[in-house]
Amino acid sequence: MSARSHRYISSTTGHHEKFRAKHHLLLQVPEGERNEHSVVLHFVPTQNARGTYLRFDSFDDAYLGRLRAGDFRTQEHFSAYFSALIKIKLASRLKSPEAIEDVRQETFTRFFMALREGKILQPERLGSFVNSICNNVLFEHYRSTVHNPSLDDSEEQEIRASDFDLLGALAVKETEKKVREILSKLSERDRRLLRQIFLEERDKDEVCREFGVDREYLRVLLHRAKQAFKSAYLKHMGENPRDFAPA
Amino acid sequence: MDHNLVVREKMTEKYLLGELDPNLKDEFEEHFFVCPVCAEDVRAGSEFVAYSKNILQESDEPERATTPRREPSRWNWFAWLRPQFAVAALVALLVVIGYQNLVTLPQLARAVRTPQFLPATAVNLLTYGAGDSALTIHKGESFLINVIVPPGPRYTAYTVELYNPAGNLAESLPISPSAADTWPIQFPAGDWKAGRYKLTVRGRNTSGQDVEVGSTSFELKIQD
Repeated sequence: MSARSHRYISSTTGHHEKFRAKHHLLLQVPEGERNEHSVVLHFVPTQNARGTYLRFDSFDDAYLGRLRAGDFRTQEHFSAYFSALIKIKLASRLKSPEAIEDVRQETFTRFFMALREGKILQPERLGSFVNSICNNVLFEHYRSTVHNPSLDDSEEQEIRASDFDLLGALAVKETEKKVREILSKLSERDRRLLRQIFLEERDKDEVCREFGVDREYLRVLLHRAKQAFKSAYLKHMGENPRDFAPA
Repeated sequence: MDHNLVVREKMTEKYLLGELDPNLKDEFEEHFFVCPVCAEDVRAGSEFVAYSKNILQESDEPERATTPRREPSRWNWFAWLRPQFAVAALVALLVVIGYQNLVTLPQLARAVRTPQFLPATAVNLLTYGAGDSALTIHKGESFLINVIVPPGPRYTAYTVELYNPAGNLAESLPISPSAADTWPIQFPAGDWKAGRYKLTVRGRNTSGQDVEVGSTSFELKIQD
């Protein structure tokens, strides 16, 4: 079954429940079939289905309509989806969690204002629009911190995975367990390499020289670990749509 | 940004490792805000890194104890004050002091207390250029010159000057007024060269002027 042939046709919870009860569908889209034209996937587990029930959302007119109408699920999805991306984007640019949160909120505020004013003309470019707003807000934030340095907390943010309660404690534990499993399968040398890069944040060229590897080795190491993690991550993503830890 | 390029170039990994230049970083972010596949990839990678940091930190302590991190090399002017260098310097100093106290100084003390035969010759201040005295010494040996002072007016102070074969002043010795007509002057061991040496005595008169009392010379020979 092609993911593209199935679309979520109703925005109301009641109809969604009815649909789920009537159709115990088991839909899975293998990763190889996905590309940049695939719909946005949102995993929603059910109590009765054996597999994972997928609710497909795509950034189209219908989605925009639901968002404009204030549909809770759509808003929740929008917030979770773009909050995560915004936090990842801002993590390398802003030092404090407070500053990141300020920019995120301002971005969403401006987006919904634009939405209400009918300024969003290309729903399929929704992501690009959010990114542009975020860039503008970020630029204004930089300017304001030049004049008022105290606005930007100079404390370096340390976001720990254990602080993310949004997945639920169980989901966090399972995710952590998966990451531990992946790390334990790496050689001691590779674990030390990752520790030097991510934890101690040492110069990458220096670390590579010490370990006798090149940058490509580092990328491949991360790629394989990430791919191993994705299967568990994607499974848990469906349990609770929310934002999560940026790198 | 082309999605296939993103996959081929491992843009997600480069992004998470902070390897993209600012322009490319902006382009990639623009892409993953639009591309759901890459958005998912970036989110998964980001979450993996975040969890990894915590887990690696937990297991960090034993690693630090066994695998000390190599410090970046840089010159520190005060590095020699560090304990490992200070101890080495102290030991070296103790060795030098010990050698001097146990070997060098006793040797010198013995040399001072032990009677020594010095090569000597007598020079007459009034016989410069005629019948030069000759003196033979060993290399590095000191010698004695008995300076015969002629009778005459006495001065308030005297200076004995020794000029080497090159004509340069080699030694200068102040001498208090003495009733003796012979002054025994020991010249210390040194790098004496063989040749003709000139010895001049100057006296300071009551007017404070230095006048030459007399000069003489002697031939110094060096024996190996």
